[in-house]
Amino acid sequence: MIVIEDLHKRYKTEHGPGRWVLQGVNLTIPRNVNVGLIGANGAGKSTLLRLIGGIDHPNKGRISRRCRLSWPMGQGGLEPTLTGRQNAKFVCRVHGLQNDLQDRLGFIIDFSELGTAFDEPVKTYSSGMRSRLQFALSLAFDFDIYLSDEVTAAGDAAFRLKAAAAFKAMANRSGLIMVAHDEGTLKQFCQAGIFLFQGKAHWFDNIGDAFKAYKDTLNHG
Amino acid sequence: MRNPLSVSFSVWRAIFLRESLDRLFDMRAAWFWLLAEPVLHIGFMAIIYGVIRVRAIGNMDTALWITLGMLAFFLFRRTANQVTHAVGSNRPYFTYRQVKPFDPAISRAVLEAFLMTIVSTIILITAALLGHNAIPGDALLALQAVLGLWLFGVGYGLVASVLMELVPETEHVLKITMMPLYLASGVIWPLASIPYPYRDVLMFNPIAHGLEFVRLGFSPYYHTVPGLSMAYLYEWALASVFLGLMLYRRFAVQLVMR
Repeated sequence: MIVIEDLHKRYKTEHGPGRWVLQGVNLTIPRNVNVGLIGANGAGKSTLLRLIGGIDHPNKGRISRRCRLSWPMGQGGLEPTLTGRQNAKFVCRVHGLQNDLQDRLGFIIDFSELGTAFDEPVKTYSSGMRSRLQFALSLAFDFDIYLSDEVTAAGDAAFRLKAAAAFKAMANRSGLIMVAHDEGTLKQFCQAGIFLFQGKAHWFDNIGDAFKAYKDTLNHG
Repeated sequence: MRNPLSVSFSVWRAIFLRESLDRLFDMRAAWFWLLAEPVLHIGFMAIIYGVIRVRAIGNMDTALWITLGMLAFFLFRRTANQVTHAVGSNRPYFTYRQVKPFDPAISRAVLEAFLMTIVSTIILITAALLGHNAIPGDALLALQAVLGLWLFGVGYGLVASVLMELVPETEHVLKITMMPLYLASGVIWPLASIPYPYRDVLMFNPIAHGLEFVRLGFSPYYHTVPGLSMAYLYEWALASVFLGLMLYRRFAVQLVMR
């Protein structure tokens, strides 16, 4: 379970403090619910995900994470000068899997289908190869709740099918908080929705209602 | 759930291994240059002093005098540089919330101490085989001085990296100061030969104290600069480390954010 209390966040800009991106967000996200974050560009979806993931800090308010929580997957997390293997080892070690290293590496090599490129520096990868490695990394660990920021399955049709099935299995097994620009993707994986609007967060048990609320603001605004 | 200490240890281990790969195999034969850089500096200065026939400095074998000063100074400078740029070179890894800004700094500092121990041992054994008296007379004194220099390097690096993040111009200022520091610390020129009152000014530099103590540790009959103080070196070292840790605590978010 993730409990968010009175969360405030704004960023520093060239002209002093910026506007409030999040202003008084209160949420309780249960463990076994898949929830999609919905909102216009700049509404604070990625910001909220980063704050939940603990890689950014709120200006005010607090978040308590009472579960095993993944890092915000899909963006970054790979050091370009190191090879895919070295990056994968690093991530395994950080998550305390030193003894289990070979198993996890085996899985990542199999799933990412990078072949010999696995031992080449990540900076030589195409964007498709990068996202395949990130995808394999995100599936290699067991978490109670996954954070997914535009995790995409790039690759040929066969790989996309395999990736979609694996992602679905993961989403059924554990909780998921996801940001995606595509409405279809969100509806496919999430039951509940959080609608971010003017710095506040609104919880909807049904993601369809969240989209409806979002579209209402578009029509009237 | 893992306890916080075991999380930190696994992060240090991961960064240590990742950094050592970078340091040793980043470019072609990167490990060779780790050793070659001090060797070339020492060799060059030893030849210069050989040509002008300075056989001894302060009652100490000139080659050994240069070797010890150079190695001790390299330990400080490399540690300081590596720690300064620790956060910047590990930026992608702050995606994992287990990794805090302090973690790459401490891992790099330990790695640098480890590598300089190997480099120094190789160079000193080679010097001994070439007939120089490279066996320390008071090993504990030398170690104490080396530890102080290393700590000061860590503190300097911590403070410098935060300053550089807050005021980017500091990078230029710090780079400019590193060069005179090499000369002013008595690495290639004995500070004892500089007249009063200028010598006292130079002895405000804690690195100069460290280098003289390392030499004294190897050769107990070495004539050091008067007024040496180990406490002075450690005051600087501990003060800078504490200041650095405080700044890291205070500016942790700004260091990681882009």
